[in-house]
Amino acid sequence: MSPSARLARILYRWRLPITALVLAGALVCAGKANLNNINNDLSAWVATDSPEYVEYERFRREFGGGRTLIIAVAGEGIFTPDGLRYIDRISREIARLPLIERVQSLATANVVRQLPPQDGDDGGIEVTPLVGDRLDTATGAADVREDALDDPLLRGDLVSADGRVTALVISTDEERIDAVRGEVIEQIRGIVDTARPPGLATYFNGPLEISETYNRITLANQRDLTPPVLGITIIALYAMFRSVRKVVLLVFAIGVSVLWTLGLYVLLGYEMNVLTSMLTPLVVVLAVADDVHIVQHFDREMREHGDRQRAFESTIAHLVTPLFGASATTALGLLSLATSDVVAVHSFGIGAATGVMVDMMVSLVLVPTLLVWMRPDTHTPPQETWLLEPLRRLGRWSFTHATPVLAVTGLVLVAAVAGVLRLRVDTNHVNFFAPGHPLHESADVMDRELAGIYSFNVMLDGPPDAIARPDVMARMDRLAEALRRQPQVRKVTSVVDYVKRTNQRLEGGAEAAYVLPAAPGGIAQELFVFGLSDEGRTELERVVASDYSRAHLTVKLASMSSDVVFEQIFEAERLARDAFAGSDVTPTVTGAGRIFATLDHYLVTSQVTSFGTAFVTVFAVIFLVFRSAKFGLLAIVANVVPVAAVLGLMGWIGISLNVATIMVASVALGVVDDDTIHFIGRFRRETAHGATADVAVERAAMDEGRASLTTALVNSLSFGVLWFSEYKPTAWFGSLLAVTMAVAFLAEIFIVPAVIARFPRLYGSAARPAVAAA
Amino acid sequence: MSRSRRVFRPAALAVFVIAGALMVTAAPGAQPAAAPVEGSADWVAARIDARDTGRDSRLAMTMRLADRQGRTRERTLVITTLAAAGARGDRVLVRFLGPADIRGTGFLVWEHAQKDDERFLYLPALGRVRRIAGAEAQESFVGSDLSYEDIGGRRLTDYTYRMVEATAAWTDTQGASHPAWRIESLAKDAGARYPKVQSLVRKDAFVIVEAQVFNRRGEREKQYTVSRLERPGGIWTVMDATMANEATRTRTTLVVTEARYNTGLAEDAFSRRELEQGAR
Repeated sequence: MSPSARLARILYRWRLPITALVLAGALVCAGKANLNNINNDLSAWVATDSPEYVEYERFRREFGGGRTLIIAVAGEGIFTPDGLRYIDRISREIARLPLIERVQSLATANVVRQLPPQDGDDGGIEVTPLVGDRLDTATGAADVREDALDDPLLRGDLVSADGRVTALVISTDEERIDAVRGEVIEQIRGIVDTARPPGLATYFNGPLEISETYNRITLANQRDLTPPVLGITIIALYAMFRSVRKVVLLVFAIGVSVLWTLGLYVLLGYEMNVLTSMLTPLVVVLAVADDVHIVQHFDREMREHGDRQRAFESTIAHLVTPLFGASATTALGLLSLATSDVVAVHSFGIGAATGVMVDMMVSLVLVPTLLVWMRPDTHTPPQETWLLEPLRRLGRWSFTHATPVLAVTGLVLVAAVAGVLRLRVDTNHVNFFAPGHPLHESADVMDRELAGIYSFNVMLDGPPDAIARPDVMARMDRLAEALRRQPQVRKVTSVVDYVKRTNQRLEGGAEAAYVLPAAPGGIAQELFVFGLSDEGRTELERVVASDYSRAHLTVKLASMSSDVVFEQIFEAERLARDAFAGSDVTPTVTGAGRIFATLDHYLVTSQVTSFGTAFVTVFAVIFLVFRSAKFGLLAIVANVVPVAAVLGLMGWIGISLNVATIMVASVALGVVDDDTIHFIGRFRRETAHGATADVAVERAAMDEGRASLTTALVNSLSFGVLWFSEYKPTAWFGSLLAVTMAVAFLAEIFIVPAVIARFPRLYGSAARPAVAAA
Repeated sequence: MSRSRRVFRPAALAVFVIAGALMVTAAPGAQPAAAPVEGSADWVAARIDARDTGRDSRLAMTMRLADRQGRTRERTLVITTLAAAGARGDRVLVRFLGPADIRGTGFLVWEHAQKDDERFLYLPALGRVRRIAGAEAQESFVGSDLSYEDIGGRRLTDYTYRMVEATAAWTDTQGASHPAWRIESLAKDAGARYPKVQSLVRKDAFVIVEAQVFNRRGEREKQYTVSRLERPGGIWTVMDATMANEATRTRTTLVVTEARYNTGLAEDAFSRRELEQGAR
C-alpha cells in the first residue's frame, strides 16, 4: 500500500474525531478573530526596530511628531469678521477635545510685531496673537490679512499667498491618540461643520486623516468585498455542481478555513491593516480550488463504484500529493512576502500562507467527511459534460500547433519584458485614491495653495548650546537656502527664521534686517526674547531643544511620486552633509517623508527578495512533488509566462509597484502553479498507464483543464470584485490577480501541451494517427 | 473673548517670593464687598492678600528649567521690586546674570493703575532698550512654567473661593506637620486658561505651599510644591519651589539664594536708563 493510501485509510478511520477537532478549533478561532483590531499607522508599514523608525521616534520625542490632522478652510470670506470668528471658534473648541495638544491656525498664530516709537524711545516689539481682538470689524480683519500675508512664516504655510485658503494643523498626544482617533476626528468634523459661514469649504488631510481613512477602508473591504466574493463563489459552485447540498457543504468548509485563518492570524500577534483586509477574500478564492478538485474526484468515484469509504480513500490517496504540492507552493509564494521589510506586506504574507495551509488540511479531512454523510447526487452536473469536448479539442489543437503557440508565447514574453522595464515604484498615498475622493481633493487644495501635505525634517545634533552659535546658525541658514532652491520644495522653516524675524523687528522692521544678528550673544538673546511668551516658548520647543543641542529644519513638499521624494531626500542628505562638514553638528534626514522614501527602497528590495524566494522555493517544491527535472522545467515555463505577462501589463498600463501590487508577482507564482501541478500530474499518470503523449494531454485537458477553467473563472471573477475597493492598490491587486488566473489557464491549456509536443524525447511522442483515432 | 490685560504686579511678585505663589492679591484700589467671616475661604484669601511684603525687595535666585527630555538649564537672576506709592504703580526689574550669552539682559515693568502697564527690555547685543507688549496674566513668566499670575498673584476679585478642607495639614521636607487650609479658587472669567486652582495654605504663615492648577478640560495641568519656606527679616519667603507642567512634561524650580527687604531702593533704580546702564 502506498503512503498516500495508508494516510487515506488512517484519515478515514479517524475522520470523526479529526473533524470534531477541526470544528472545535474553528470555534476557538472565531472567538479570537477580531477584525476591528486595526493598525494602519506608521508601524503598519515600517518595522519599529528599523533605523529609520528609531530615528523618527527620536525626532518625535524631541520635537513632537508630524502625525497631524490638517484642515484647509477655503473661500473668499476667510478674512472677514465671520470667517475669523469661525476659525477662532473651531480652534478653541478643537483645542478643548481630549488628547489635542496644539491647534495651529490663524486664531492661534503669533506674529512678531513692531511697536512704534513712543515718548522719545526707539519703539519696541511684541510677540502677539495674530488675530487678538481684531476679529469683530472688517477693518480689523483686513489688518489681520495684511499681517498674515506679510509674515514669511505664515504665508504659503498657514495661509495661501492670495489669502483664500488657510489651514488648521492639529497636533495630538501621539502616544494615546490611536485608541480614540476615529472618535476624536468625528468630533472635530462636528465642530467644523457646525455653523460654517456660507462660501467657506473645509478639507481634511494629513497623516491622521490618512490613517483613519485606511482604517475605514480596511473595515469597508472586509464588510463590502467579502459578501460579493462569497456570492460569486456560491453562484459558480452551484453552476458547476447543480447541487444546493454541495454548495452549502463547500461554503461551510470555506467558512471554517476563514475562521481558522483569521483566528491564527490574531493568535500569531498580528493586527489587521489595509492589506490584510484582503485575507478573507483571498482565502475564500483559494479554498475553492482545493475543494472543487476534492468534490469532483469524490463524485467520480461514487458514480463509478458507489462506495463511500472507497470514494473517501481514493480521493485522498490521489489528491493528497498534488493538493499538498499546490498548497505548499501557494503558501511559499505568499510566505516569501514575509521577507519584506514592509510590515503590512510581511504580515499579509504570513497570514495568507497560514490560511492556505490550514485550508488544505481542513479541506482534506472536512470536505470528504461531509461528502460521506451526504446523500449522493444522481445527476451528472453540466460542467462534467459541457466542457469535456471543447477542452479536449483545445488540448489537441495546442499539441498539434506547438510551433505557432510557442511563437506567440515568445512574443508575449518579449512584450512582457518590455513592459516590466517600464515599471516604476510609487507609494504616493494620495494617488491611491481616485481624483474625486475627499482625500485626493483635499491634497490637491493643500498642495496647490499651501505648503503641501508631505514633509521631511533635517535634524541636527550637537553639544549643548551648539545650535545658538553664530557659525551653526549660518550653516543652517545656508542649508535652508539650498533646500529652497530644490524644485520640489515648497517651504523650509527652522529656528533661523524666528531669529531673523525677531531681529528685523528689533532693528526697526527694514527688509535688510531680516538677517541673523552679527553681535556676540545676539542670537541667544533674540531667542530668549522670542521665548519670553507662552506662544514663543511653545513654537521654539517645536524647532529647537531647550539646551540648544538639537534643532531641525522642516521641509515641506507637495504630494508627489515617491521616487521623486526619494531623490529629494537623498539630495537633502547630501546638502546637509556638505553644510555641516567639519562642524560638531551632525545632520540626519528624518520625518514622515524619510520613512516613505525608505519604504520605497524596501519595496524594491522586497520585490526582488520575495520574488526570488518564491521562485526558488516554489519550483523546489514542484521538483520535489514531481521528482523530475524535466517536468519541473515544464512547470517553470508554464508559470513564468503568466507572472511575466501580468508584470508587463502593469508596466504598459501604468500601474505602479506599490505596497499592494508588489505582492502580485509572488502571490501569482504561488497560485498559478496549482493547476499546472494537477495537469502535469494527470499527464504523467496517463503516460505511466501507457497512454501516448497526445492522448495524455487530451485527458489532462478534459479533466484537469475542466477544474482549472472553473476555478480560473471563479477566481478571476472573485478577485475582480476587489476592483470595487475605493483604495486603488486593493483594486489593482485584485484585478491583476484576476488577469493572472485567466492567463495561467491559457498557459496551462496552450503552452504545456505545446512544450510537450515540441520536445517528444523528453515528454513522449504522440500516437500514430491511426492509433490516435482509435 | 475678553481677557484681563494684566502684565505684572510687582507687589504680588514680592508676595510670591515672600509668601508663596498662586496667591490672591487685591487689584489696585479694589475692596472686598463685605468683610468675610473668619475662617471662611474668602477670609483666607483676603488674609493672604493682606500680608506684609515689604516696601521694596531684592531677591537673587536661580531658575532651573527642565524640558520634557529631563535636560535642565539654569538661569541666575535678580529681581528687585518697589511697592506702589501715591500715583505711581509698582515697579519691577528683572536682571539676568547667567548664562553668559544672556548676561545683562534686563526686563522692566511699570505698573499703572489707570492705563496699560509698560514693559521694557534691554538686550546687551542690541545695546538699546525696547518696549515689549504686555502678556496675559496666565501666560508664561520669562519662558518658565510659572505664569505671571503664579508669580504676581491673582486679583482677589477675579475669583470665587470655596473651602475644601479646613483641617488639612502640610508636611515640610523635615517631616514636620503644619496645619493648613485647602481652598479652591474658581475664575469668574469663563475664558480663563486655568479656571480652577486648589491650594493648600499654611495657617501660621498664610502662604500657599501646594497647588494644583486645572485647565479648561478639568484636567490637572500644573502642580506647584514648596520645598523650603523661611522667614528672613521677619517676612515669610518661599526659598525653594517647583512648578511642574504635566501636559508639557516640563518643570521650573526657583531657588532663592538671597532675600533682602526694605533696603531703601529709590524710584530711579527702576528707570529705563537704569535698565540700560545697570547691565554694564
